[in-house]
Amino acid sequence: MKLRILPLLLALLLVATSLTACGGGRDADVHVFYYTFSDTYVSSVRSTLGKQLSDADLSYHDYDANGNQTTQTEQIRTAITKGAKALLVNIVNTGSDDAAKEIVELAKNAGIPLIFFNREVSDSVISSYDACAFVGTRAEEAGKLQGEMIGEYLLQNYSKADLNGDGVISYILFKGEEGNNEAIYRTKYSVEKANELLMAAGKQPLRFYDASNQNGYHVDQNGQWSSAAANDYMTTALASHNAANGNMIELVICNNDSMAEGAISALNAAGYNKGGDSTAIPVFGVDATEAAKTLIKDGKMVGTVQQDAAGMAGALALLTSNALSDGKELMAGTESLPVDETVRKIRIPYAKYLG
Amino acid sequence: MKIKIIEKFKQMDEREKKIYLRELLINNSLYIFLVAAIILIEIANPRFLSWPSIINIISLSAANLPIALGIAGAIILTGTDLSAGRIVGLVACVAAALLQSNDYLGKMFPSLSTMPIIVVLLIVLAIGALIGAINGFCTATFHLHPFIVTLSTQLIVYGGLLLFLMIGNNNGQSLSGLAPQYTNFIKGSFLSLGGTPIPNYVWYVLLITAVMWVVWNKTTFGKNMFAVGSNPDAANVSGVNVKRVIILVFMLAGILYAVTGFIEAARIGSNSANTGLNYELDAIAACVIGGVSFVGGTGRIGGVILGVVLLRLIFVGLTFLGIDANMQYIIKGLIILIACAIDMRKYLVRK
Repeated sequence: MKLRILPLLLALLLVATSLTACGGGRDADVHVFYYTFSDTYVSSVRSTLGKQLSDADLSYHDYDANGNQTTQTEQIRTAITKGAKALLVNIVNTGSDDAAKEIVELAKNAGIPLIFFNREVSDSVISSYDACAFVGTRAEEAGKLQGEMIGEYLLQNYSKADLNGDGVISYILFKGEEGNNEAIYRTKYSVEKANELLMAAGKQPLRFYDASNQNGYHVDQNGQWSSAAANDYMTTALASHNAANGNMIELVICNNDSMAEGAISALNAAGYNKGGDSTAIPVFGVDATEAAKTLIKDGKMVGTVQQDAAGMAGALALLTSNALSDGKELMAGTESLPVDETVRKIRIPYAKYLG
Repeated sequence: MKIKIIEKFKQMDEREKKIYLRELLINNSLYIFLVAAIILIEIANPRFLSWPSIINIISLSAANLPIALGIAGAIILTGTDLSAGRIVGLVACVAAALLQSNDYLGKMFPSLSTMPIIVVLLIVLAIGALIGAINGFCTATFHLHPFIVTLSTQLIVYGGLLLFLMIGNNNGQSLSGLAPQYTNFIKGSFLSLGGTPIPNYVWYVLLITAVMWVVWNKTTFGKNMFAVGSNPDAANVSGVNVKRVIILVFMLAGILYAVTGFIEAARIGSNSANTGLNYELDAIAACVIGGVSFVGGTGRIGGVILGVVLLRLIFVGLTFLGIDANMQYIIKGLIILIACAIDMRKYLVRK
């Protein structure tokens, strides 16, 4: 008896979910493909973009590729056969052009406008199709701004930051993912830029806390930029590098704010960065999430780099409504935004956030 | 006992002695590897065996132990549980959402004041138990392999987690700003060794492990679990309610995942949809390294602890040595393979 009811219940559930399906339902014009729903920053773009598209009277549907390019490409194929009128793609694979090229071919053959966002694709891919554009950031800018903040902070607080007084700041760095351009640039430029400023002022360059580590960073092995990975590395590092041994880590650089939060949680457990009178190791992140802003306000973190989710969603909504209205240029109305000279790429600027 | 073994060894001829020693080496190769690895890492970096480092290894292991103890039950029933990591993630996010401090700006439910810790703990244990019970119910009632059942619940739980993160004024952001009484309850400490505080959750996990030891070894339920694992038909004939045992094992597992999630939320301090991702794989690896066999019906609490500690030692040791992270995958893979091969060998010899 029970066994007979179950399929019926399942069928009812399916009907119920398809009736209440959010984000516009089955006749949506705009189809938005996210590389994963689990990314904090991309989620804030998603909710803002949803609001902006609804405000512009555009129906839309969101897809989750769950970090898998094959899934995403299949979703795009299906959306095109369903009659999509515009495609917004937060591509999964940024390592090579192949996936992006395939998606451009699909859109081109169907004659549908295609806008990539957040995760960058190369200039030649964008230029290969007239109705194609990119909205994102300049990947190296976040790392450079983070490095500048670090350099400026250290020059003002050098003796306070140099806990063991050896004249060198030892740092630990958490990388979000191997093979991701954003992660590579942030890892590279944060240290380079900080060293540039330090050396110009006659100080020693930063030194990775563990001389035997050739990479100069610890990476999240799951490629998830996760706070758990940063937390595990940080507690392990603090086990051998602490005030008792005279080699305490004096600076924490993180590829994003989630990792910064994980590192701060580990520092808290060791009695640091608890706010108030406790010793604070300077921690820097990227993204300016609400959590990070609160940590900065409480004096548990020094700085982060703001990615403008609302700005990115606004530019995307503008391009989408251009693409869907007859006779309008795809890039109409973007004069006030920073656009690359040779290619249709809008660069939403990053900003330093120090509270 | 020991003397007997020595006498027996003396009576063997040359060839037997050789075989006996070889078997001894192979069967204990994991322990030998463990000791050798500790000595080598200690030589390379003498801080490896300092108090802060030892306590770090203990705390990292403790955080990973409850989920492994839960999954071990499923493996003893010749099953597995793929939903474990996602249950940890869901529970961590629910616990974090209900225990955000009142003055935190990005609070998920601004009108809801921080709940008492014990209430939240009971809520999340109930969530874990419920999902576990569903896993067990579907496995037992529909005679499905737990691999399929938990693959489905893994997806369902993840979907639920993503939906949960979008409600309130959270918009998919990570959940942080936890109430200090919660973080103190988990991460605080009342005892230090060599100047390094031992986090409270280590004691909770110790207690849970002791309870689990009793459950496995001293209760009828524990004996029934092993009986169903080795031969469900025989267990059924001898009067064991197989269906009930299966449901209870998965329920208990769900409760242990909930404990993991409750600890994890405060330990990490920031919780997102990624929390708990792939935790089940590490837990399954720890179990099989520790001799909880996929053949079913065999496993010891001590073995699970050994497996968990060994995996953490690899992580900490390679970080201490500054070895490229890529090597960790290879070493972990080899150890799992070797451990299972040894385990299966014992089983074949017995047969």
